[in-house]
Amino acid sequence: MAEAKKKVHFIIERQDGPNSKPYTEEFEVDYRPALNVVASLMEIQKNPVTKDGKKTTAPVWECNCLEKVCGACMMVINGKAQQACAALIDHLEQPIRLAPARTFPVIRDLAIDRTVMFENLKRIQGWVKVDGSWEVHNDAPRQNPRTAATAYEISRCMTCGCCMEACPNVNSGSDFIGPAALGQTHLFNMHPIGEYFKEDRLNALMDKGGIASCGNSQNCVEACPKEIKLTTYIAKLNREVNKQALKNMFNK
Amino acid sequence: MKKKIIVVGGGLSGLMATLKICEAGGEVELFSYCPVKRSHSLCAQGGMNACMDTKGENDTVYEHFDDTVYGGDFLADQTAVQGMTDAAPKLIKMFDRMGVPFTRTAEGMLDLRNFGGQKNKRTLFSGSTTGQQLLYALDEQVRAWELKGAVKKYEFWEFIKIIKNKEGVCRGIVAQDMNAMEIRAFRADTVILATGGPGMVFGRCTASTICNGSAVSAVYQQGAYIGNPEFIQIHPTAIPGSDKNRLMSEACRGEGGRVWVYKDGKPWYFLEEMYPAYGNLVPRDVASRAIYDVCVNQKLGINGENRVYLDLSHIPAEYLERKLGGILEMYSEFVGDDPRKVPMQIYPSVHYSMGGIWVDIKHNTNIPGLMASGECDYQYHGANRLGANSLLSATYSGTVSGPEAMRWAKEGERGSELTDEDLKKAADACRAEYEAILKMDGPENAHQLHHELGDVMNKYVTIERVNKDLDYCFDEVKKILKRWDNIGLTDRSSWSNQEAMFTRQLRNMIIYALVVTKAARMRDESRGAHYKREFPTRDDERFMKTTIAEYDQATEEPKISYIDFDHSLVKPRARNYAVAKKE
Amino acid sequence: MNNNLDFYIRRVHSISGLVPIGFFLLEHIFSISTVLAGGGAFDATVAKLAAIPHEIMLPLEIIAIAIPFLFHALYGLYITFNAKNNPGSYGYTRNWQFYLQRMTALYLAVFLIWHVGYLRIMVKGSGLPINYEFMHAYLSNPIVLVLYCIGIVAAIFHFTNGLFTMAITWGITVGPRSQAVVNKMAWGLCVVLAIVGVMATIRFAA
Repeated sequence: MAEAKKKVHFIIERQDGPNSKPYTEEFEVDYRPALNVVASLMEIQKNPVTKDGKKTTAPVWECNCLEKVCGACMMVINGKAQQACAALIDHLEQPIRLAPARTFPVIRDLAIDRTVMFENLKRIQGWVKVDGSWEVHNDAPRQNPRTAATAYEISRCMTCGCCMEACPNVNSGSDFIGPAALGQTHLFNMHPIGEYFKEDRLNALMDKGGIASCGNSQNCVEACPKEIKLTTYIAKLNREVNKQALKNMFNK
Repeated sequence: MKKKIIVVGGGLSGLMATLKICEAGGEVELFSYCPVKRSHSLCAQGGMNACMDTKGENDTVYEHFDDTVYGGDFLADQTAVQGMTDAAPKLIKMFDRMGVPFTRTAEGMLDLRNFGGQKNKRTLFSGSTTGQQLLYALDEQVRAWELKGAVKKYEFWEFIKIIKNKEGVCRGIVAQDMNAMEIRAFRADTVILATGGPGMVFGRCTASTICNGSAVSAVYQQGAYIGNPEFIQIHPTAIPGSDKNRLMSEACRGEGGRVWVYKDGKPWYFLEEMYPAYGNLVPRDVASRAIYDVCVNQKLGINGENRVYLDLSHIPAEYLERKLGGILEMYSEFVGDDPRKVPMQIYPSVHYSMGGIWVDIKHNTNIPGLMASGECDYQYHGANRLGANSLLSATYSGTVSGPEAMRWAKEGERGSELTDEDLKKAADACRAEYEAILKMDGPENAHQLHHELGDVMNKYVTIERVNKDLDYCFDEVKKILKRWDNIGLTDRSSWSNQEAMFTRQLRNMIIYALVVTKAARMRDESRGAHYKREFPTRDDERFMKTTIAEYDQATEEPKISYIDFDHSLVKPRARNYAVAKKE
Repeated sequence: MNNNLDFYIRRVHSISGLVPIGFFLLEHIFSISTVLAGGGAFDATVAKLAAIPHEIMLPLEIIAIAIPFLFHALYGLYITFNAKNNPGSYGYTRNWQFYLQRMTALYLAVFLIWHVGYLRIMVKGSGLPINYEFMHAYLSNPIVLVLYCIGIVAAIFHFTNGLFTMAITWGITVGPRSQAVVNKMAWGLCVVLAIVGVMATIRFAA
């Protein structure tokens, strides 16, 4: 059982409340195969003692599914925003540094407030306008399976915020709507019924903090844990928003 | 005045109910302890069943109904199941209109795949994250209503208790803001619980960490009946893990995956051999028992461990990518092997609770004004749920509970309004309880205690149950309940205190563990997911009844009784997946 | 729809980088590159430009160059200060380009105040002719020479990288492949122009 003695070393950036000063604490967790960051934090919960043996509180963070579909456990691990549940210790350099994604307001320790992302979905009218959930005795239109496959790709966006954290233009001093909501705009614009209100969404992207605030650093596409081709959809939207701008100028 | 409905839980069922209420002109206060878009419904992978009959198999709604009842080993309310299977194709069309990116055939129609316990292709899917896609569609629709002011979301608020008026009618809830820790009482005309399953009672399982059943346990302790709690579904194919068991969808087998182990040096496709009619697509309880038998009794697990192979490597990689992409990535990511090339290693895991809060056909609980909907109710799956019926039951139950909540709000005998005094009293009681938790100063760690609870529940109340062991387990859980009093909090912060909230939830989990264990102990037969070697056959005479668990304040233990249920549509017959189903 | 001003400003900012500023930069590089053919060739080019009557040249300089420049620079600085650069954590090539675009902007802002302020306003404004002889003397100062070389390379990178992002901003290159091709072309142009520009600058000093 030589393996059991192996330790994993964490340096965790902590913060007691939204306005408190950040500080770091170091922890050690017993190594085991396939261990990930969330599982390590759970171990710390069972015995919240620092590396130096000082009693402390367990770090606070958000997690739900542990399967990389809910998007809750996004945090900055060794400098990069990612899902903590899918961050396997074996793939990380030690000491492992955990920090909250400071693009968003910090709630406590590693927990952050991503309300803005859900609000952005309101800004872009991120839904297909259906008359109601009742029966309409009519099938929805058929769809090209390839278009549907693209829609599926974008629709896997779990609002985790990795793209927001990685984007240099999304920060506390900017009102940029960010890559996630842009991807979603494209999703609803390409749906055969969603398309009916495409103009409204494109116009929304012309608002302050809309698509024009994208600076093409293209970090989003690299950071997206779902490998959504965000930059491609942003470029497509650029084309459409520009066209819409011309229409607004000359058709009215 | 607009009717105000409180919906607790923003998964598929809660959101569906919310939509229906908004459409009927009501107002919803939606409580969830996570952003509703992160609810556990999104973990459903394989699909949703509905008879679309687009594969030339002459599939019928009746067949879906019968498969569900048969698969549930004749313990589900048949009229309820019939309502659900009738509605299924309509719900699919609704989702299609809402923009769910269902996987399509080359001609642009909704594709179907096979799923366990059904001979016909009947499962609609969005790649391998169908639940995520359905949840998002409803989340989007509810967001549109939120913008119109009909929905007010209380995200990161935890439900604590319901408030009854002096006539005993549920007229509100107490909830706590998980960051500011503020405890507040809320009035409502009707309350719907859509809080999901109790997976966390078993510690490691396929459920999200939020599926702790705490809300169900709380209302049980306030007098709500629990129906069929002993029926816990063990999913045959999950990746065992120390933090959770990650689900490997039944869709793997639906798309041609085969389960095997080495026997005498050769691959043994034991499901295909044991159940020639259904092969790898037997229902989950049957597959899990077979895997358990092969590993535990025959000791044929991979390298002597409790693992068997789930093999997709014979299927073209391109096909797998299109039909199962997401979960294969997940396997590669968490395990390190590529399932397109080498067989996956899996083992059964606690997955779903067929049982839950007892409801009538309209989803009313025995407490007037309180409704339950989704996995937290007991309604549609009897003794075993068929794969891809959970997204259906979650959605369908919302379409029933939502309108019924409005009807109750308008016509129900709701008795007196809650006074400000009532609200204050209810909130104060919860505050006192919470303050007491904050002061707890014993030697036990809540998370460690939870781990131990999971261990004993997993060991004794899963695939094979033995009365003597259940007695032992019940005693152990009672000890854990005692030890709960000796918990010491390490965190006494008044801001975002997860430990204090977890400690409160843990007590509810322990109480619910007693319910599951006791109900399992009392049911001396084998039916669906509930299997006892001492009583290996189904005993319709004694046990074709719904288990009812009622909380006994004095002992904190459940009182178990049995009631009859509606099985007026098909006569019970023996369930045998070795041969084709006969009607 | 009245808060679309920002959008239109951004788009004008994008265009102004090419027309007129980009073209002016190309003209500049062409003009100074004639020095590679000898001081006389450079003086001939300057003379041709000087032949344009002052009454036309001055308004042209103000309207077609100074105003767009000021707009591009001031709004550009606003954009630059709105970004929280992070190539340290996310060291992807495109992110470095994003970062360099902003760093070159800062350098150019200072450099151009100096460059225009001294050469165009102080020297030319006081009636002294700018010719090979003058530039030779000026750039013989090694510090000035190095700062000018950096300025030229910075301006060229800022321009060519701007072409790459412009193709995205205007929805011309959509997919990753086309974007990569244009990016390579932009880098190619950057290298060629930079070699010409730096060689010409050094030639002045030699």
